[in-house]
Amino acid sequence: MLRNVIETRGLCKSFDRKQALHQMDLCIPAGGVHALIGSNGAGKSTLFRILLGFLTADSGDCLLLGQDSRQLTPELRGRVGYVNEEHTLPDWLQVQRLKAMQQQLYPQWNDNVYRQVVGNFDVDPTQRVGSLSRGERAGVNLAMALAQSPELLILDEPTLGLDVVARQAFLEAILFCTQSNTTVVYCSHQMDEVERLAESLIILERGEVKVNCSLDEFSGRVQQWMVPAESRELVLQKVPQLLSSRVIEDHLWMYVLDAPPAFASQLKLLGIAEATGASVSLPDAVRAFMTRHHAGQE
Amino acid sequence: MAATLQLQIKVGDPRPIFRQIVDGIGLAIVSGELQPGDQLPSVRTLGMQLSINPNTVARAYAELATKGLVDSRQGLGLFVGQRKQMLNRGERNKRLQSAVQRCVNEVMHLHFSDEEVLKAMESQLAALHGTQKKGLG
Repeated sequence: MLRNVIETRGLCKSFDRKQALHQMDLCIPAGGVHALIGSNGAGKSTLFRILLGFLTADSGDCLLLGQDSRQLTPELRGRVGYVNEEHTLPDWLQVQRLKAMQQQLYPQWNDNVYRQVVGNFDVDPTQRVGSLSRGERAGVNLAMALAQSPELLILDEPTLGLDVVARQAFLEAILFCTQSNTTVVYCSHQMDEVERLAESLIILERGEVKVNCSLDEFSGRVQQWMVPAESRELVLQKVPQLLSSRVIEDHLWMYVLDAPPAFASQLKLLGIAEATGASVSLPDAVRAFMTRHHAGQE
Repeated sequence: MAATLQLQIKVGDPRPIFRQIVDGIGLAIVSGELQPGDQLPSVRTLGMQLSINPNTVARAYAELATKGLVDSRQGLGLFVGQRKQMLNRGERNKRLQSAVQRCVNEVMHLHFSDEEVLKAMESQLAALHGTQKKGLG
């Protein structure tokens, strides 16, 4: 039984002088839905291209379903589904022709899954792919990826540009048509989707893995605290857990990471007597975490 | 037949989704909306109803079972248990204190008088007892 669907060790890749992946160590265990997020340029696309064998790393190891990404066999490629926001499909073919061709290519093809997903999107099978709406096109692409019964399904911002109805159909298809032995890696900036779909969260920053834990564990690490606005300088200098802060009228609202249980006493020792803390939602926790990263770049 | 549950999930809530389900079902049991012996929807059904990962529902159900609020009957599903208190007094007190603390943290900067806060709390409790009586009657 395969333990990790994706495994990289010390993976490095540079373009000219810009380092895209920096000693990246990443393990994604088999089973479940894993959200992978990172700001633009965090190294997500480079990682996928190396994983799928389209690009060679400068150094380090990279395993896809346990096989070295530099020597992927066609058989192994058939066990991995990849869907990105472009939904690249041949425009000139009828939907039913395209499906018939795909069905022949994949021995594990599951026609029930195909019909169920396509049914969610109301696609006319005699239509040419080129005349499908953006949502229908995404639906056909997802239906084909799911019907291949992949062991690993990589979805790279697949709902980008979809309307709310198509987006909902897409999410439901992922949740309820995915075979039980499929591991899903889901990249999205839509935190509501991530919260509904995923069990674990991976955050990439500047080519490194910064977070890899369950959703709840991560939101539990971030808290919001409110202190008097005049303590701003003190907080900026003396609170190492600070992620981001802003002054609203008389108060400084700040997000902190991994604050100790006695954080209020820690603030009191600094002379900040009036402080209250609260837990935060997952979207707020992620935003606060990524804001720190942006600030750190300057 | 499984009971229908009118649960609403708020994405972007400080409580994780599984916690919202635990709280929501707990409230439905306390208010009498769910009666002892009622069957809960399957993990898959509730997942579909709320458009969330079924594994999240499974986690919430596991927690409800640990709390003694629901019983699992082999092969049949989950059923609302007889009302009984599983937690000892110390633990109940700890949870009460932490819930009150959260509530105080939430309202302290809203500039209400203590009387106004207590009154709001009392009216919520009265509303709860009201629905409880209706539910039992």
